[in-house]
Amino acid sequence: MKKIINLHWRAAALKNGFMDAVAYRAEFFIDIIGSALVPASIQLILWYAVFYVGQANSFGGMSFIELINYTIISVLFSQIRGGNQDFELQEMIRTGNLSQHLLKPIGIVEFVYIRGVAPKLVIASVCICIGVVLSIWLPITVPRIFGAMFLALLGNIIHYQVGAILSTFSFLWEEAYSVLMVKNLIVSILSGELLPLNLFPASMSWVWKATPFYLYVFGPTQFALGKWSVAQYLHALGVSVVWIAVLCVGIRISWHLGIRRYQSLGG
Amino acid sequence: MLQTLRKYCEVYRIQIKNNLAREASYRTNFFTIALVDLVWICVEFSLFKVIYANTPSLAGWRQEQVFFFLGVFFTSDALFTFLFQRNFWTFTDLVNRGELDIFLTKPIHPLFLALTRWVNFSALFNLVLGIAISIFYAKAADFLGGWKWILFVSWLGIGLLTAILLRFAFAIWVFWTERSWAISQLYYHFFSFATKPDVIYPKIIRYTILTALPFALIGSIPARALMTGLEIYEYFWLFGVLIVFFFFDRWMWRKGLKRYQSASS
Repeated sequence: MKKIINLHWRAAALKNGFMDAVAYRAEFFIDIIGSALVPASIQLILWYAVFYVGQANSFGGMSFIELINYTIISVLFSQIRGGNQDFELQEMIRTGNLSQHLLKPIGIVEFVYIRGVAPKLVIASVCICIGVVLSIWLPITVPRIFGAMFLALLGNIIHYQVGAILSTFSFLWEEAYSVLMVKNLIVSILSGELLPLNLFPASMSWVWKATPFYLYVFGPTQFALGKWSVAQYLHALGVSVVWIAVLCVGIRISWHLGIRRYQSLGG
Repeated sequence: MLQTLRKYCEVYRIQIKNNLAREASYRTNFFTIALVDLVWICVEFSLFKVIYANTPSLAGWRQEQVFFFLGVFFTSDALFTFLFQRNFWTFTDLVNRGELDIFLTKPIHPLFLALTRWVNFSALFNLVLGIAISIFYAKAADFLGGWKWILFVSWLGIGLLTAILLRFAFAIWVFWTERSWAISQLYYHFFSFATKPDVIYPKIIRYTILTALPFALIGSIPARALMTGLEIYEYFWLFGVLIVFFFFDRWMWRKGLKRYQSASS
């Protein structure tokens, strides 16, 4: 019985999230288009500058076509990563709005995630459809698109978990907004969203391998493009699950410690 | 005239004083925002470091030239963030909530009050860092220095002016839309074009970021002018674009004010 009730609030939170997403449709779509097209255009322009203006034959061992394919496919997954739920959490702590949620029989961290993931699920569905259409021209297959999207969704969970831990800085300081911004900036380069991570010099590759961020965009893109074998994909899935488990523990500890300092005064 | 100028200076002095007092009570926030800027600079540098690890030049620009450009761009952007950015975020609320009323009743230009109310002191860190980067890479980027540092300051002024005119052109739509959040977001998406030298762009995009959306005037054109100089027609072009944007913004502001309904637009 308890399980059914739990499922009930989760379904309600997800429904709320969908309704929020469609309430401001114009903003929703302008934001998606802006965040997808502009970074992709800049990447494409960089490759254009290297190959056509600079007359290069290859760049970091990749041909012009390979880089173009990477850029196009990575856009599908870069739309899935992130979300603003961690910012919402820190704002709740800062303003004291957390109190009203603490009174409810729900897990606040999970509730905020479920509500905020709804638009990402809509985008994921759209991106899968686009990926299926693109598979006619690009070297990607439909099963790999689904597999890659699954990995990207796990990446979305990891991203939120990292943010949920960092948002507890709000219990200590005035706010955690800046800390979350720093995290997002680091993610933008180490996720493979700005450029393929295999362009990093070999001596610097440990930097992106040491974080889970490459599982957000680079990993799914490599798998979709057939650059990763199924074994590498399964390994990445395993790594994702381990990160999720470790970060779950991190959330429990950081929130347990944070709540003890919480005064619900806002400000 | 002098008396008017003195009045505006006095108002601005009070705004600065209020902001300093506010900033002093949120010290941690000051340092963490400075940290965000530092990481942003590191990300942009890392991006070009990775690119130049794989190629000796990008559209004819060496690594040092791009880093000098980044120095100029960060300085110009930091100036805008320091003096104006927060005001543009609150501009939407002023119009939507009818708070512009208070400014309209005061014996000073309402736009002056609306756009100078908030000062972001944490951007000073980025400003210093931008200048340091520019100085560090100046020689290697073929910038001759000496008296030309005066030109550096002038070009920063042009970059700042461009950012104000452009940001205003995006913010002013709040008089016609219920929420201008999406249009503001568009500004920040397009702003990404300013973070790269204009020489890398194909003709059509380059033309766009020099005319209709002159983001190249924030950092790229100033950096290029300092390093290699511009063609004569480019100077005329640049001032032409700024003048057109100035009159466009003024016209939109007047139209917007006529539409303003005080309670909510």
